[in-house]
Amino acid sequence: MHDDRYIQLAHGNGGRRMRELIASLFVRHFGDSLNTQRDAAPLPDISGDLMITTDSFTVNPLEFPGGNIGSLAVHGTLNDLAVAGAEPRYLTVNALIEEGFEIARLDRLIASLGDTAREAGVAIVAGDTKVVARGEGGGLYLVTTGIGTRVPRLNLGLEHIEPGDRLLVSGPIGDHGIAVMLAREQFGLSGSLTSDAACVLPLTRALHALPGLRFMRDPTRGGLATVTHEIREATGYGMSLEESAVPVRAPVKAVCEMLGYDPYYLACEGRVVAVVSEQDAEKALALWRALPQGADAAIIGTIDHKTGPVVLTTSLGGQRVLDELEDDPLPRIC
Amino acid sequence: MDEARRWLERIRALPIPPRFRIMNVCGGHERTISMAGLRSLLPAGIELIPGPGCPVCVCPEEDIFQAIRLALDEKVTLVAFGDMLRVPVNGPRSEPRSLEEARAAGADVRPVASPMEAVRIARDTPGRETVFFAAGFETTMAPVAAMLAEGVPENLSILLSGRKTWPAVAMLLADGQKPGQQPGFDALIAPGHVSTIMGPEEWRFVPGQYGLPTAVAGFQNASLLAAIYSALRQAQSGRIFLDNCYANVAHPGGNPQAQALLDQVMTVGDANWRGIGTIAGSGFALQPAYGAQDARRRFPDCSDPQRRRAGEMPPGCACAQVVLGQIYPNQCPLYGRACQPRHPIGPCMVSDEGACRIWWATGVREPVSPESVSSVESP
Repeated sequence: MHDDRYIQLAHGNGGRRMRELIASLFVRHFGDSLNTQRDAAPLPDISGDLMITTDSFTVNPLEFPGGNIGSLAVHGTLNDLAVAGAEPRYLTVNALIEEGFEIARLDRLIASLGDTAREAGVAIVAGDTKVVARGEGGGLYLVTTGIGTRVPRLNLGLEHIEPGDRLLVSGPIGDHGIAVMLAREQFGLSGSLTSDAACVLPLTRALHALPGLRFMRDPTRGGLATVTHEIREATGYGMSLEESAVPVRAPVKAVCEMLGYDPYYLACEGRVVAVVSEQDAEKALALWRALPQGADAAIIGTIDHKTGPVVLTTSLGGQRVLDELEDDPLPRIC
Repeated sequence: MDEARRWLERIRALPIPPRFRIMNVCGGHERTISMAGLRSLLPAGIELIPGPGCPVCVCPEEDIFQAIRLALDEKVTLVAFGDMLRVPVNGPRSEPRSLEEARAAGADVRPVASPMEAVRIARDTPGRETVFFAAGFETTMAPVAAMLAEGVPENLSILLSGRKTWPAVAMLLADGQKPGQQPGFDALIAPGHVSTIMGPEEWRFVPGQYGLPTAVAGFQNASLLAAIYSALRQAQSGRIFLDNCYANVAHPGGNPQAQALLDQVMTVGDANWRGIGTIAGSGFALQPAYGAQDARRRFPDCSDPQRRRAGEMPPGCACAQVVLGQIYPNQCPLYGRACQPRHPIGPCMVSDEGACRIWWATGVREPVSPESVSSVESP
């Protein structure tokens, strides 16, 4: 293993190379919680309502300003547990590595994954590696499954949303989408924008005590607009959003203007959208704004009393419908 | 945004004629107008008419057919701007009718966002032919010219479908002067990005020859509202000229370097616009010196004269009228009915710069039957 600089098919064949790769790289970064001598891991010290979620990660490029596929694979899965009202406890990791992948790079990405899990206080208890032939993968794909426990007495869900409830977002939208796009250097644009990729647990924990907290979701692919449509689909209520209230950073605005993108459809990786009763909305906002991660949080809209579309009142005072995302957003060519 | 608000207030303070129709040339203009909800904010009487500036919408059907056949029959890697992939051509359902369907059928079709990506793909696959299906206006043709001037890998060729914007507007205006006709608009918002390359002066003929208020605008609310204000003021004062409301970006004379590259690499000739027909002096082609990179020379002509409705619009589709500003998108009989973004029939419902797609995406759901409203042309 120490002589190898690149992943070979033999790193996935069950033999010496694979054993050494797991020991010298994965176990080293994941710590004692990962016992490779067992086929299945017990989950000690866990009680209450268990919650589980799983996600796959295929980001390109694998490293971008503010994160990489390793940190993203932890944040993405923990965030899904967090917004569902759970405290994450355990994580499993599957790595699908393409033949020819540089081992030093793999080490860097897996180290980041291990560090991110440690910072969030979750233990990696099981894992698997596979090597796919050159040309059959995008360098590295990761799959993580998270297990957590539901916070007692916290009962969140789309079914609790009522007309008049407020929509909050925890910070500026679209940073991740634009940061990754700039990192791909497709348009000859570059910039100092950093992805918002982060663990949202501090944000979700901050609202646990609010009786008016109905529902939380992290807007990832499809962005804020997609979350509003999930709410609309499930509840049947329309929604009114205020463009001037939605936080968007200046560089994101500038790139959107240049390429014809709509920030409402751009991915975030460290934001939370919360639906909170009218009464508790200001309290929720204050709780978020007290956190470094929530300094730019805002109340951005209201659940309507009737069925209807998601309507955005633009900063000029005009109105438009925020439609459901159809295709991937494309840059304009005109 | 304060600047945009100020322009809006100024417009509202003007005396507004009972009907004042402003055509915006670019799909980018239309996107901004629809996304900001400008139509609902402007005084009654001002009509904003989407114009011909959607490159995907006007790309000839036979060019897309050629691209599909090259991808399927010649086993090339076909790269195109993303919007182009979903535009349907006429043909039996049993055959791939878009580049996207060709890809599903096994062809190597890849979306790109810039000419640089086409070069990279060709360089990464040296043993394989890559064809860059380059549709677009001057703004797209300039980087394509720069790419070719710089030199491209041997295995990269270009299926060029480039168009100039001003000849389409000139044609609309010339048609409007024919006996019994009138132009379908009272003022023009000229394209900001095209002017950045070619210079705003290209649009002087509109006020000069046809006496219509004209203003160049970018894709920001403030620039567009300034242009609308300018058009109204020009009409009101009777002092008709070419205004530049994008002056900080679109400089007099445009970008001489880009123009020199265009001249070096491309010639200009008559060209077909989908559903509209041939417009004189509106099409780009490669100079003979770059003939080796011309996919039309490198590969066989795949056009099929037996093909039903070859080169035409799909039955019932009014995209051509939408592109010419003769009807609004929701006046097309297919709008929102048979033709929606998830199953588009005409190109205007495919592209993010197509007026139908923009109207649908920003919430216009009610199709208007052509009988029940007055068309844009005849009040």
